[in-house]
Amino acid sequence: MKILDLALKDLTRSFRSVFAVAFMFGIPLLVTGMFYLMFGGMKGDDTGFNLPQTKVVIANLDEGGTGFETAMSQFPADENIDSMGDMIVSVLQDESLSNLMHVTVVDSPEAARVAVDAQEAGVAVIIPADFSAQFSSLEGQAVIEVYQDPTLTLGPAIVRSVLNGFMDGLSGAKIAVNIAIEQTGSGDPAFIGQIVEAYLAATSSLRDPAALLEVRTPVSAQAEEIPLALRILGPIMGGMMIFYAFYTATATAETLLAEDEMGTLPRLFTTPTPQATILGGKLLAVLLTVTIQVVVLLALGALIFGIRWGSLPSVLLFAAGTILVASAFGVFVNSFMKNTKQGGIVFGGVLTFSGMIGMLPIFAFSNPSATLETISLIVPQGWAVHGLFQSMQGAAAGDLALSALVMLAWAVVFFGIGVWRFQKRYA
Amino acid sequence: MHAIEVKNLHKAFGDLKAVHGVSFEVAQGEIFSLLGPNGAGKTTTISMLSCLLRPDEGEALVMGHSIKDDQMGVKAALGVVPQEIALYNDLSARENLTFWGKMYGLRGAALKKRVEEVLEIIGLTDRARDRVGKYSGGMKRRVNIGVALLHKPKVIYMDEPTVGIDPQSRRNILDSVVALKNQGMTVLYTTHYMEEAQELSDHIAIMDTGKIIAYGTHDELVKIVGQMDRITLTVSTDGGYVAEAWKAVGGVKQVKAEDGTIIVLADDSNQVLPSLFETASAQGARITSVDIQEPNLEAVFLHLTGKALRD
Repeated sequence: MKILDLALKDLTRSFRSVFAVAFMFGIPLLVTGMFYLMFGGMKGDDTGFNLPQTKVVIANLDEGGTGFETAMSQFPADENIDSMGDMIVSVLQDESLSNLMHVTVVDSPEAARVAVDAQEAGVAVIIPADFSAQFSSLEGQAVIEVYQDPTLTLGPAIVRSVLNGFMDGLSGAKIAVNIAIEQTGSGDPAFIGQIVEAYLAATSSLRDPAALLEVRTPVSAQAEEIPLALRILGPIMGGMMIFYAFYTATATAETLLAEDEMGTLPRLFTTPTPQATILGGKLLAVLLTVTIQVVVLLALGALIFGIRWGSLPSVLLFAAGTILVASAFGVFVNSFMKNTKQGGIVFGGVLTFSGMIGMLPIFAFSNPSATLETISLIVPQGWAVHGLFQSMQGAAAGDLALSALVMLAWAVVFFGIGVWRFQKRYA
Repeated sequence: MHAIEVKNLHKAFGDLKAVHGVSFEVAQGEIFSLLGPNGAGKTTTISMLSCLLRPDEGEALVMGHSIKDDQMGVKAALGVVPQEIALYNDLSARENLTFWGKMYGLRGAALKKRVEEVLEIIGLTDRARDRVGKYSGGMKRRVNIGVALLHKPKVIYMDEPTVGIDPQSRRNILDSVVALKNQGMTVLYTTHYMEEAQELSDHIAIMDTGKIIAYGTHDELVKIVGQMDRITLTVSTDGGYVAEAWKAVGGVKQVKAEDGTIIVLADDSNQVLPSLFETASAQGARITSVDIQEPNLEAVFLHLTGKALRD
């Protein structure tokens, strides 16, 4: 009972300290919140990230050509497709591409280029007056000019990709037309139109602009359908939680030294309370404080940021391992400190250094490296991060067994040494 | 049975013999003072008697419990008021008392009732909800004492409880010590303030360099210096001639010249002082300072050690 009284007293004191609460909860939430805001929150599209919309201006000068009336029937009548140029405009203005580009039609090539020069548009597409004519001519070569802002890369590349896909389709149709004319010797526009119609019917991509551009996301993300922002926030918040769990444990265990200096520990030793009970109460306080911190941060991470920590058994296993190893680490480190004045070295040096090593996989989350992960495993924080990643990646509790066992082993060693040293000190 | 029996306690820290063969007995219901300068070994003695330090040698019994073999029995019988304030500043007075009460084994309604009683005793019922960190030094001292009273101990140790506080709080604490005695408690009180030991104590042990150099009631101790006034003088010339001349003055019992001063022991300082001035003048010397000490514990300490209690 006295053990619990001692622990509850320490818990009360810890949670009355603005400084302690800020480090336990404030900083991890604040840092995660900053990343949350950087990525624009989680509202809206929940299936992937959004590329910036590219402004495209089109100068369609195409005057049309013979033999396309039948082919134009592949497009809805209300789209007024009278030429190959109109087809390109129709494709680029298709609703399925509206999240990638915003298309404006201008009257002249100059106007289109000026819009790009003035950075009012990222890409200008200039369709020459003889575009359709060149397409229908046996010797002709249909060429589209793409004029782009040199400072942009992704937007113009997308536009070119769409145009290339479209032009590939048209090229196929033109080849088919040319072969047919050569083999039959017929230049009948109706015949040409039938060939184009048949080709268009066979190549759905010309009528489905979205099929011209395939935006792929990483396989793992596709499988779990987790938004990129969440895939960033999860490791960051998890890493912060682990880093500050070790910090909290060390700071809470440091109260043993602080109480010694304040005189309350010697006074406790003058009460009819066994020394083991007093030390046990202090250590229980460390364990309870870190437990509250981890549980609250896991809950708030899920509630505020929508972070998916993994299945409940896996999260429980990872969290229990983290709590145990962090608490034991705090006791262990403090057992080597002579007084609280050495706390600065411990917090600034030992905790920060080991924490940074343990967090290596998180710093490199966008470019995972087996080497970094291996290096991180030389410190207990690294194993906690390893367990976090496993849980977040959907590993079953059984798959976390190794991580949990290693954390438990660290905890037993740290705790054993720490308690032995403290008992020796206060014997 | 004595409340405290101390037999030949020894404690050394490396080469430093902090306590060296200390023995004394404290009867139940009395106030016993350990008087001595800082570093005399008082706190080390108290620490051994409260089971914080294990003696290298010797034994002590507190209410019959051995500090070596029955520490829980000793601790249950004891209330300790440490020299430094040992409280949690971020808890209120009531929370502090409640926590410490639990450490002394109190629970439930009995604990709640006792906490309120102690708050009343230390006069802090109105401020019980305030955090101790916001209290004045004197108020903290009162809570510090209150903690030791929670379990109604038979014996209470008070280690220099009046250090660094204002006169009013000091007065309150001294009154409370007497009140504790009147309630039947035995008080072991350490101090380097001679006046406190003189005012409070039934028996006094004077400590210096880890040893008890004198032990008894106030009157018994004062008799050591023979009830004589002690006059310390400095003169403008070589004191040797003057000291020799003063030995012949009527009423002067003893004259000692040391370190530029002359110490004169006399039955009545008021009677001999005019003669001392006349004799000095006749020797061509001028008295530049005079300090008169009537027989007290300070004089006893000075007599026994050759140094002032506050040195």
